[in-house]
Amino acid sequence: MRSLLNFLLRYRTLILFLILEAVALVMISSSHNYHQTVLYGAARNISGFFSRGLEKSTSYFRLRQVNEELVSENLMLRRRLEGLASGAQDTFGEIRDTISGINYSFLNARVINNSVNKQKNFITLDRGSKHGVTNGMGVASSTGVVGVVVGVSRNYSVVMSLLNTDFRLSASIERNDYFGSLAWDGINYRHARLSEIPHHVAVTEGDTIVTSGYSAIFPAGIMVGALTGGQKRGGDFVSLEVLLSVDFKKLTNVYLIGNLTREERNNLEEEVAR
Amino acid sequence: MNSLLRYGGAFLILIVLQLLIFNNIEFSGYVNPFVYVMFILILPVSIPSWIMLLLSFLTGSVIDLFSGTMGVHAFATVMAGFMRPWVLSLNVTAEASEPDMSPSSYRSGLRWFLIYTVLVVLVHHLALFLVELFSLRGFGHTLLRVLLSTAATTFFIVLFDFIRPRR
Repeated sequence: MRSLLNFLLRYRTLILFLILEAVALVMISSSHNYHQTVLYGAARNISGFFSRGLEKSTSYFRLRQVNEELVSENLMLRRRLEGLASGAQDTFGEIRDTISGINYSFLNARVINNSVNKQKNFITLDRGSKHGVTNGMGVASSTGVVGVVVGVSRNYSVVMSLLNTDFRLSASIERNDYFGSLAWDGINYRHARLSEIPHHVAVTEGDTIVTSGYSAIFPAGIMVGALTGGQKRGGDFVSLEVLLSVDFKKLTNVYLIGNLTREERNNLEEEVAR
Repeated sequence: MNSLLRYGGAFLILIVLQLLIFNNIEFSGYVNPFVYVMFILILPVSIPSWIMLLLSFLTGSVIDLFSGTMGVHAFATVMAGFMRPWVLSLNVTAEASEPDMSPSSYRSGLRWFLIYTVLVVLVHHLALFLVELFSLRGFGHTLLRVLLSTAATTFFIVLFDFIRPRR
C-alpha cells in the first residue's frame, strides 16, 4: 500500500498527463454528436454573436464580387424563366398548377463563420430554428453545393462543409449520368474526389459534375464542379479529381434547401427496405 | 493576487485574440497561427507541473469549445504543457533559473526565448495536426503545415513578447 502511494506520488505528473490526454481523446472520438450537447449549443450562440459582428464589418470588402455573382445568377434565372414562359403551352387549357410540382423550397442565408484549413470544416449561418431551419437541410451557393446542416440553435445553424472529410455527396457526371460518391480528401480546398465510377466510363477533362438527386437533401442538377483530368485507379473503379465550383474562401451568401416531401420519401424508402 | 490578475489578464487577451483574429487568418490553407499557446509559455518557471497540466487542459478546452473542435486543442496543449519543463531544463541559462520568473526574451535573451518558443510550439502543432487528422495519411503534407504554422505562431509570440508589460 505504501509503495503504491509512493509510486503514485512519484509519477503524479505523468499519471495526470495520461489521464488528461485520455479525456481529450474520448472527447475527440465522441465529437460526431457534439452538436447535441447543451454546452456546445450555448457556446455556439456566444461565438455566433461575435462572428456576426466581425462578418458585418468585413462583408463590405466583398460587395463587388457578390454583386457580380448575383447578376450572373439573375441572368441564368431570367433565361430559365424565358424558357418556361414559351414552353408552358403544352398543357390543355389555362390551368397553371404552381404548388403540387414543387419539391424543394429555398431560403437565403449569410455565412458568418467559415474555415477551409481544418480536416473537418464547419460553416455557421445566421439562420436558425426560428427561421425554420432543421438538421439535414442542404446548403448551396449560387456557384454550387456547399454542405449540409448538422446543428441548429435558435438564431444560428452549423453546416458541415463539403470541405469536411466526413462529408459524402451523391454526385453524377452530367454528360452521361454515371453517379458516384464525392468526398474531400483533406488536402487542397479547391479539389475533391469523385469515387466509385466504373473504369469503362469515358470521361474527359472539364466534364461537369452535378448532384445526382439520389439523396433527399439536394435536388438533382446542382453544380458541384468540373473534372480536372486527374484520376486514380483501384479495382473496377476509378476516382476522379474534381475542381470544386464553389470557392469556399469567398463564401458570403448561400441558400438553404428544404425538401418538402422528404419525410414522405424517407418513410416510403424505409418501409420497403424493411 | 497581483500575479493572478496578470496571468488571468494574459489568458483572456490571448483567448480573445485567438478566437476573433487568429482563427480567421489563414494563408493558402497551410498556415494558421495559434498564438494562445503563448499562455503556456509565459507561466512562471516554478509553477508545479500538475497545475501546469490542468491549466493547459483548460486553455485548450476553451479554444475547443468556441471553435467546435472538441478535444483536439486540449490534447495538443496538454502535450505542450507536459513537454515545457523538459524544454526549460534543456536550455537553461543562469538568468533563466530564477524560480518566480516568467520566461521572456527581456530576461533571458532573444535567442533563448526563440529556441524555447519554437520547441514548445512545434510539439503543440505536431500533436494538433496529427490528432486532427487522426491518421498518418499524407504525412508530408501535414508536416509542411506543422512547420509553416510553427514559424507563423513563433513570429507572433515573439512579437507579443516585445510589447507585453515588463515587470
